[in-house]
Amino acid sequence: MTSLAAVARQVDPDDLAGAVAGATDSGGRFTGLVATARDGGATSLRALIADGASVEIIEALLPAGVDHYRALTPVVPGAFWYEREIHDLFGLVADGHPRLDALVFPLTGDGGDRLRPGRPEAGVRVDPDTSALPGHVYGEGVFTIPYGPVRSGVFETVEYLVETFGEDIPQLRVRPYLKHRGIARRFTGLDPGDGVLLAERAEGTMSAAHAIAFCGAIETLGGVDPPPAAQLLRVVHAELERIAHHLDSMIRHTEGAGQAVAYARLSWHKERLLRLQADLCGHRFARGVVTLGGTTGPPLLAPDEALGALRAIEADLARDLRTLMTTPSFLDRLRTTGIVAPAVAVVHGALGPVGRGSGTGPDVRIERPYGGYRQLGFAPAGPRDAGDALARQWIRAEEVAGSWHLLRQALDELGAHPDGPWRCPAPVADGTGLGWSESPQGELIYLVEVTDGHLAHVKARTASFHNFALFSHAFGGDILTDFVFIEASFGVNLAGVAG
Amino acid sequence: MIPHLLVAGLCAWAAGAVIGLAFDAGRSPTREVPYVAGMVGGALVCAAGVLSVLHRPTTLDLGSTLGVGRTLVRLDGLAGLFLTLTAALAVLVSACLVSWAHQPGRLTGHGTAAGYLVMLGSVTVIVVAGDAFTFLFAWESLTVAFYILVGVRRDRGAHPGAAWVTFGIGKASGAALLVGFLLLAGRTGSYTLAAWAHVSPGGLHDAAYVLVIAGFGAKVGLVPFHVWLPVGYPAAPGPIRAALAGLAANVGFYGLWRFLAILGRPPVWLAVVVLVAGGVTALLGIVFAGVESHLDRVVAYSSVENAGLITVGYGVALAGAATSHPRLVAVGLLAASLQVLAHAVAKTGLFAAGAFITADWGTGTLDDLRGVGHTHRWAGTCFGLGSLTLAGLPPTIGFASEWFLLEALMQEFRVGPLELRLAMAAAGALVALTAGVAALTFVRLLGLTILGRPFGPAPDPTMVTDGGIFGRAGLGLLAMSCVGLAAASPWVIRFIADGLAPVLPASTVLGALKSPWVLQPVFANFSILSPSWLSVVMPIGFLAVGAFTVALSRGRFLRVRRVPAWRSATTGVAGADSYSSFGYANVARHVLGNVLGTSRQTVTVEDVADTGTLEAGHVEARSTVVEPVETYLYRPGRRVLLALANAAKRLQSGRLDAYVAYMLVALIVVLAVVAAVP
Amino acid sequence: MPWVPRGLRDGIVTTRYPRRPDGYGPHYRAAITVTGGPSSPKASAPGGDRQLASLCPTRAITVDGGEVRVDRGRCILCGRCVAERPELFAFDPGIDVAAVERDSLIVPGLAVGADHDPDDDSVERARAELALRVRSLRRSVHIRHVDAGSDGAEEWEIAALGNPVYDVQRLGVFFTASPRHADLLLVTGAGTAGMAGPLRRTWQAMPAPKIVIAAGTDAISGGLAHPSYPTYGGIGTLLPVDVWVPGSPPSPFSLLNGILIGVGMLDPRRQR
Repeated sequence: MTSLAAVARQVDPDDLAGAVAGATDSGGRFTGLVATARDGGATSLRALIADGASVEIIEALLPAGVDHYRALTPVVPGAFWYEREIHDLFGLVADGHPRLDALVFPLTGDGGDRLRPGRPEAGVRVDPDTSALPGHVYGEGVFTIPYGPVRSGVFETVEYLVETFGEDIPQLRVRPYLKHRGIARRFTGLDPGDGVLLAERAEGTMSAAHAIAFCGAIETLGGVDPPPAAQLLRVVHAELERIAHHLDSMIRHTEGAGQAVAYARLSWHKERLLRLQADLCGHRFARGVVTLGGTTGPPLLAPDEALGALRAIEADLARDLRTLMTTPSFLDRLRTTGIVAPAVAVVHGALGPVGRGSGTGPDVRIERPYGGYRQLGFAPAGPRDAGDALARQWIRAEEVAGSWHLLRQALDELGAHPDGPWRCPAPVADGTGLGWSESPQGELIYLVEVTDGHLAHVKARTASFHNFALFSHAFGGDILTDFVFIEASFGVNLAGVAG
Repeated sequence: MIPHLLVAGLCAWAAGAVIGLAFDAGRSPTREVPYVAGMVGGALVCAAGVLSVLHRPTTLDLGSTLGVGRTLVRLDGLAGLFLTLTAALAVLVSACLVSWAHQPGRLTGHGTAAGYLVMLGSVTVIVVAGDAFTFLFAWESLTVAFYILVGVRRDRGAHPGAAWVTFGIGKASGAALLVGFLLLAGRTGSYTLAAWAHVSPGGLHDAAYVLVIAGFGAKVGLVPFHVWLPVGYPAAPGPIRAALAGLAANVGFYGLWRFLAILGRPPVWLAVVVLVAGGVTALLGIVFAGVESHLDRVVAYSSVENAGLITVGYGVALAGAATSHPRLVAVGLLAASLQVLAHAVAKTGLFAAGAFITADWGTGTLDDLRGVGHTHRWAGTCFGLGSLTLAGLPPTIGFASEWFLLEALMQEFRVGPLELRLAMAAAGALVALTAGVAALTFVRLLGLTILGRPFGPAPDPTMVTDGGIFGRAGLGLLAMSCVGLAAASPWVIRFIADGLAPVLPASTVLGALKSPWVLQPVFANFSILSPSWLSVVMPIGFLAVGAFTVALSRGRFLRVRRVPAWRSATTGVAGADSYSSFGYANVARHVLGNVLGTSRQTVTVEDVADTGTLEAGHVEARSTVVEPVETYLYRPGRRVLLALANAAKRLQSGRLDAYVAYMLVALIVVLAVVAAVP
Repeated sequence: MPWVPRGLRDGIVTTRYPRRPDGYGPHYRAAITVTGGPSSPKASAPGGDRQLASLCPTRAITVDGGEVRVDRGRCILCGRCVAERPELFAFDPGIDVAAVERDSLIVPGLAVGADHDPDDDSVERARAELALRVRSLRRSVHIRHVDAGSDGAEEWEIAALGNPVYDVQRLGVFFTASPRHADLLLVTGAGTAGMAGPLRRTWQAMPAPKIVIAAGTDAISGGLAHPSYPTYGGIGTLLPVDVWVPGSPPSPFSLLNGILIGVGMLDPRRQR
């Protein structure tokens, strides 16, 4: 919430790669590349560099008619998916990009195509063109196993293409485009108040984190600091959401490993957590709580009652997790499965549990504390160096412990603010603002532009998208039966990947 | 009567060979004639074989007409059994070759027909030879015929070193036999095979036994002599492969059978070695058949596997002979004979059908051969039934033979020596494992290659011959034999029992018939099987279940709404989207990685501008296997040989005094040896 | 082994629904209801119809001649209308929000209070037609779920149906991997252009009789994700929908309610 109003350093399009590489060389962390359509066919490219306590924006403006620029990926590997996404949505061609395949929205034809859907003038309906999807592994007997989009189980839609000569997974391609909803363009023109509701639905399982980051950006622009009680309540919902999210990942692990009892018990705990969310705010996913300037109201459950309910769940969950994480038949499935090499994770700037399981990865709650986290303390998780699914599970278990700690503090302090205030006036100011939060999946950044009191451009840079580019790097020596664990250990929200 | 038939048959082949040599093979109007002669000769020799089995054994003395001692022709049951089998197959293969040669341009190598007919003649002469000279002469002719047939192709698909490897192993086999025969002849003073039965047990008897088994083992592809099969067979043109693998290789088994009859009781350790070698050969063969990606090489490796299986059965017979257990000899030899029969019929069918399939499709790579059953009804059916036979599945003769083999091995509790029991148990385990991998291997061929969903380029329908008229007759008979022999197994066993009479009494072998329709592993009250009933019951069962299902569903079973196969609702992928043959074999590459030495590489293809098909940043995935015998035995062996040759070169200094010194040393050594030997 | 005493200690956590009402259900905000009557003077005061309608970010509120209606198929339960106009709108707790007719999601119905509900006929017909179709399912159903562009939360709620609290297997409801074995297609999400083809292929791959449930406001109308260039605004234009389950996301109880209505294991009238 105390985010910077964004100030951008302007560079020439062809110097963008060099400038970003220079920033990362001097200690910055590349954390996103955002394209924005400008009037008259121009496009702004903005690279986000996390640098200690702030986020730097390096902007390059491509004038109308220019649709080529020097690719970032050769010098900043983390830009690999971003440049593909921008190619899909804006038709910009990154010269020197190793593989500019379709990702979030396949369309044939390269640059010069003004009708790419990222631009408002593209029209109200654009259909993906599946003929723009290429193949890419070659070798004797290599064939493609399409896994998805309708997969066995209740999963979000995505299509994985396993290109293999059998059970090994030498390379994996991800087709998230199937559920691309055009969220970024959907924001345009909305009232900021409605924007919060849409942000909650950008990644439906991380509603609180999105609402907090989005509101953070708007509040920064308006110079608003929400009241302390509201900030604490936001922390409560965000941490409950984090525990539920990590539990969901573990539940999917237990399901894959056939640990039926652990599966049943953990999913019962998750249900209790969602019910606690609902008891506190009326919604199982804490939607409609966080709003501009604070929260929509007081918690529906007294903090001490919530604390009691919380302690019961915490005790049960801690005991069950302890047992699960000492069950050899479970751990054996995760150990050395889906290794993301630390070197790869660092170069890519992996976020959240995926990054911290591979020895890197910031925690925004510590790196750039926001809202209630400025006054609450907790022990950060990890990092661990193994990089396998087990390391990611340990990180999640540690984060859950940290979240209980934060929840107890926040609810304690909320008891001191029985009457709020819960909300302060939040005037909306024009300009460009950045907001962030630590979503369960890692650092979440909102880049928001407000014009005439309405949202002109909003881009949610989700940790799911940023991390999922690493997914295909996690299949070193793994075979098809490891797939379920590797996917669960990434724990991404695919709506957030597809955009 | 029998000699006349034999002579007439050989004359027909000789005439065919002359015609084949006289005219160009490729496009001359007479190009089918030698193979018609092959059919005619085959039919005559086959009749001679059948009569030999049914009549009393006779030996014809041709005197010294050939100029190398007495020439004997021995016509007994064993000779008749193998004559019947090889000559019958000669008829069918020749029929396929008639159709093959009919297609202009398919047979280009001059001398193919002559080589083929010489091979048939050699096989016949080996089987009826009663003396060592005739036997060895025919054996060497066979090696030469193999060399011609393997080296005759000049096209792209031929393996350059194949003919040399084939010839080399053939010569090694001949050399082993020669030394073994000389040992026996030296001891008995006779070149008559029958006379060697009187060699007394001892070191020389055992040494000769080992040499003879090694010599015949090299011909059938026993480890470590199997390396020539996967390169030699595929290098031969078209259905000739069927003649090499399904027909001519049987002389090796004939030799083994014959010398069991002649040499009698082997040492126990020899039975142990043969059992283990057979088991290892079987496993090695099937493992490589399971991962090979070229059709002909898969079939060739399956020959290695079957050589192993048959040798295991032979090993059981040796074990019985070593422990004076005639029933064990009977069950072992019966199992081995049935396996020889099953393998010969199925292998001939596979290679003959495979020849038409690969020629029409223009490729032998399994990944490119998909759903060939849709384009080749006859060849596909023959190939499919042959695969089922080699996989040992009911109701084929392969099921009966493998059942007998496993039952024979289960009799290990009846033998005394512990090492023999262990060897039989180990061989049993290896054979069981082989049978499992064989199922996997032939499921791959049947499920993907024959019945798979076609994708990729298929041959132009107008160019598909599917065997032609004669070929179809041959393929059809081969396919029918795979199941028909199983249905007729009681009669087949009676015939084999008569054929094995020179080795042991027919009555012992006939112990395998519990009742006219039910078989048992010679020993009573052990287990039973009736392939005949099976071939009646299985089709009726299928029909009954089908009728029941249709009736129960009130006909709705026949009226179904058809939708595309469920593929996770995918939009579709570029290239192959279902298991390739190579991919299907990946399980075997993984699980049997210790045998195969599997390694996997993923290479990022960066600089691919010249290929024009790949894009930069793409990945090529590979998985490779290593042939252990060739890699760890022959290659180092070849290096050692080359090093020795280089060292020997240094001896050739060109100085007279040095050569005199060498001769002096050699003389002293010879004298010392002579003085030392009593 | 340590699991056993824990399981014994925690006892049965499974709901008795639908045999008995569940205690949790009424606590959950499942829908918005209009408390002010259609002719209530409160409806037109203050600010006018237009402002009342624009209160809703998804235009679920319509005012027609003084009659205020909420389309639950559009409502994303943000609660803004309840907060701004508590005299007109209220959260409707409960779990029985599913409907077999799209129009019956609009509350209050077009002629509430009249002796004869003209809408009832079509609802009745739809229900009868559905009952006839699902008769052969014999009260056990296999479900294939397809995400056609959800935000991810719907999947959590559907997956929750398998947890010990809801445990739908006790009712003969199973999730299946292949649509070949499925009787019921449970679709979430706003209907993205990318999923139109896969969704149709899945539906085609199912044997008849088949039931389609649109689960969630996004699947009914596109919710807040619509209008957008790659969305169809619900799956109703892509497939013939039999049961509509509103909610953003619908709670597991709402989903279960919809499934039971779909397979005829629950009579929606008796519920109310």
